[in-house]
Amino acid sequence: MFNAIVSANTLQATLDSVGVLVDECKIHMEEDGLEIRAVDPANVGMVDLSLSAEAFESYEADGGLIGVNLVRLQDIAGMADSDQLVHLELDEETRKLHISIDGLEYTLALIDPESIREEPDLPDLDLPANIVIEGRDIDRAVTAADMVSDHIELGVDDAEEVFYVKAEGDTDDVHLELDTDDLIDLVVGAASSLFSLDYLKDMNKAIPADAEVRMELGEEFPVKMHFDIADGEGAVTFMLAPRIQSN
Amino acid sequence: MRLDEFVDGFERDEAAERRRLAEEKSYAITDYLDDVERQFEQTVQGDDLYGSTAPEIFVGRSNYPSVSTGLLSPMAEDADPTQYATSGDWYQEGYGIDDVLQRRTGLLNSTRSAQVDVDDVWDGFVGVQREVAIADHPVDVEVGLDAKPELDLSLDDISTPTGPRARATDADLAENPHVPRPVEKTLEDDDWQAEGAMNYLYRRGFDVYDINTILSAGALGQGRNRRLVPTRWSITAVDDTVGQYLRGGIRNEQTVNEVQVWYNEYVGNDYWVILAPGNWEFELVELKAPGSIWNPEPDGSYYMAADDESYEGRSNYVDETSGAYYASRLAVLEHLEDIGRQATCLVIRHASESYWAPVGVWQIREGIRHAFEGEYATAETFHDAVQQLAPALPVSLTDLRRKSTMVSGIQSQIGDF
Repeated sequence: MFNAIVSANTLQATLDSVGVLVDECKIHMEEDGLEIRAVDPANVGMVDLSLSAEAFESYEADGGLIGVNLVRLQDIAGMADSDQLVHLELDEETRKLHISIDGLEYTLALIDPESIREEPDLPDLDLPANIVIEGRDIDRAVTAADMVSDHIELGVDDAEEVFYVKAEGDTDDVHLELDTDDLIDLVVGAASSLFSLDYLKDMNKAIPADAEVRMELGEEFPVKMHFDIADGEGAVTFMLAPRIQSN
Repeated sequence: MRLDEFVDGFERDEAAERRRLAEEKSYAITDYLDDVERQFEQTVQGDDLYGSTAPEIFVGRSNYPSVSTGLLSPMAEDADPTQYATSGDWYQEGYGIDDVLQRRTGLLNSTRSAQVDVDDVWDGFVGVQREVAIADHPVDVEVGLDAKPELDLSLDDISTPTGPRARATDADLAENPHVPRPVEKTLEDDDWQAEGAMNYLYRRGFDVYDINTILSAGALGQGRNRRLVPTRWSITAVDDTVGQYLRGGIRNEQTVNEVQVWYNEYVGNDYWVILAPGNWEFELVELKAPGSIWNPEPDGSYYMAADDESYEGRSNYVDETSGAYYASRLAVLEHLEDIGRQATCLVIRHASESYWAPVGVWQIREGIRHAFEGEYATAETFHDAVQQLAPALPVSLTDLRRKSTMVSGIQSQIGDF
């Protein structure tokens, strides 16, 4: 059983966070909220999202699991103005999701969850550096790096106590340093890793400019980025595997 | 990929410059052209009717969709026409640049202009041309010529060079061409998308050279979409389409279990192929020597070009390496399909100064296909392999790292941590 009413705003932010990595996903409808975990086909980028029942206008669920075509669901959610309400109801008999937006009725055929790629556990990594940064600063770094290269180095300089971003292209370089005054918080530790900008650009699209993003970094280790959506009632973690320079 | 996307990638078209390069580098070729001219005078009969055996066709790309389309046929009377068609056999026979130019300049291109829209056009000049393209042997034809031929050695980095040209008034088949069964099948089914039909022919044992000619003649695809495809575009379209088909097949295979380095040298080009354990990923890096063709660097330094794709492939046409990318990717994918594995793959092509005239993208395809025949070296890691190769390369490791996505870092997976 699943029957919920949610603002289009919240639904769109939720779907966008997952949709930047995958085209289809499993949604766990737990009693206390939705859970989505997904990894891209190349096993490089991962998202872990929870949206608490508090984020909804009304919410009833009993632990079911559905598979959805995210691209279509995003299209439908995009039909609503951000302040409109979206009503979602699962028809257990037909395995379809009924979606209504201000008189507009849409029946979405679901996908067999068994046919969707297995979601891996989020690896528990002990990453030495912690950076709390505004979403807009990530956007700035990614946009500048993209002008010169297709990969980007993120790191922390222990001694100088700065978080840095570097991109090296064929001929041009981009360098950005943020110190403790520019950041919301910084716990220094040995950290420098190279990442594909294709992935980081996609993840960046889902990070609100005013979000506080907690970034965990290590030496040639994946980066984790945690931020909230839906006024703190939803939590998103992105994880991205690095490009390895040493072996 | 749609054809108009191919078009955007092709801008370097300065025929005069290429001729100058070719002429400067070897007097043998210009001497040979004089011979060709004499031969031509002898071959063309009094009433300008010209009987010959055509192994191939050519479709130009200028002025698309009103293109110049031609039958290629050898002028020497005792020539074996099969020897004149571009194919992988040229590699087997050890052709050098001069051999290729001699073969191709010995082909008369009898051309007419035609609209590319050819659904159901099987008569007239274009009809004859299409029959030649789908036949499995060179076809006897009679071509009526309008004027004296122009000798115009035309070079291009993707298509194989062509020789003298003459305007044709008409053409007739002098025999009934034999069309292989699978080609008949793709021809008759005008509801079959070109991509699927290309892959079908490939699976039935047709090499990309044959498929390219058939596609070029507008004999594949859904009826309303059938049109003449300029030779240059069709080569890349076939390499790309068959490559995507092979890539789909290996993407769920196990990965190679060691880092392998393969090498080959052909017509002044060195090829190194590094296969490393990991997901399918591919990059071509080209290093073009000053003095080799297609080096636009004004200061006499090496010209570097690179393009790559990740596990899920590219969504747009490559920026820097054009047809070479799709030809080299095809050659690597064929090898991976043979061994039933996937790999992270870097191809480094060094076009040395002795690659003085472009003979067509086939030499890249064959150079890399045959690289996998030799012995390979192993290395502990991908980056070890690159470091060990570095002294053999004409550019520094620092420059290579800045240019190459893979050399700067190999994509890991979440499961590795």
